Amino acid sequence: MADPDIDAQLNEVLPRLRRFARWLTRDTNSADDLVQSTLERALSRWRTRRDDTVLRPWLFAIAYRQFLDGRRRERRHARMLELFRGQAATEAPSVEREVVAHSVVQALERLPEAQRHLLLWISVEGLSYREVANLLGVPVGTVMSRLSRARIALRRLSGGGISQAHTLRSLK
Amino acid sequence: MDKTTFLPDETDIQAYVDGWLDEAGCKRVEAWMDHHPGRAAEIRGWRHDAQALRATLGGLPDSASALRLDPAAIRAHHQHCVRARLAWAAVLVLTLGVGGIAGWQMRGIDAPARPPPMADAVQAYRLFAMSRHVPLDVTQQRPGELQAWLDKYFPDAASLPDLAASGFLPVGGRLLATDSGPAALVLYKNPSGGAISFYIRSPAPHAGMLARGQRREGQLAAAYWSGNGYNYALVARADPSNLRILRLDSRR
Repeated sequence: MADPDIDAQLNEVLPRLRRFARWLTRDTNSADDLVQSTLERALSRWRTRRDDTVLRPWLFAIAYRQFLDGRRRERRHARMLELFRGQAATEAPSVEREVVAHSVVQALERLPEAQRHLLLWISVEGLSYREVANLLGVPVGTVMSRLSRARIALRRLSGGGISQAHTLRSLK
Repeated sequence: MDKTTFLPDETDIQAYVDGWLDEAGCKRVEAWMDHHPGRAAEIRGWRHDAQALRATLGGLPDSASALRLDPAAIRAHHQHCVRARLAWAAVLVLTLGVGGIAGWQMRGIDAPARPPPMADAVQAYRLFAMSRHVPLDVTQQRPGELQAWLDKYFPDAASLPDLAASGFLPVGGRLLATDSGPAALVLYKNPSGGAISFYIRSPAPHAGMLARGQRREGQLAAAYWSGNGYNYALVARADPSNLRILRLDSRR
């Protein structure tokens, strides 16, 4: 495939890749850094890509692996800093202590990262269950059960559904 | 189909929530939900949440701010880096080569021997004029381009020799690193594929200016001289017509 054709294909997916990266990094600049390194890697590996591989999930998978690699590096760095400071890094706020969110999006922000990613990838990005399973390296059945749990958690945090009365009571 | 006997599995329900079922599929799931009000409320809530997320977060980032993410630019940058790495590899080859030759010539000699004048120019000719695998930094697209390129790195140096009368035109140039500092090679070719190289670098420390001269090294001949604070050499295969060009041009 000629370079301009490859670039045209990449440009078509680019906005969605940037959105995907923003969900991962939650910061515009780091998201574009991630997109840049993803494109670099994609271009250098283009020949190893099988023709029948759909471009979007292939790029998402590269971006996700790069993101995880970066995250691991950050954790190693944080652990090193802890050794010097002698204190543990602060954990993310516990879901249990959260009050009812005002909107579904606020509730989404309070979900554990893995559940948040799952809902964004499937409900907003429209990735198929099979594509998400490949991305995470788990069976489709696992994706389905994790998805149910994520939806239940989102309902609970947004104050909807069966657990609403319970959540409100616990606030008194 | 009997609506009460249809039992949706997990995938049917999630696909219903995400709006991926066709009309018939939706109707089957909704008919089942009519008989299971408890699950139905939960599923409608999920569907509401999914729609709310899509509506709020479904926008795409503004493309105007993404200039550095242009695949063509990233590809060009990548190729530039690869070329730069190759260039450095060739520079290292040359630097090692000059040292290696000097070392070889000192073999068995008690007193430290000086390498012959402009040995690096001959080595550079071997590397760039006789090998097809080492790329040049610049190629001349318009007349005067290589002169401008050379002036950038060696200000006030003598102009490139004009060998057009002998049929040789400058085709490209290459920067190199030597023990005596930066050097440049400009390659000339004639229509029959013959090559002559012009080589320039600062004099070696404490070596002073170079006496004008010519020497043979194997099949190659080199003419060398100094001027304007630099050393120069012309190198070519030692055949009679080339020797005449070297003799004439190094005396200008």
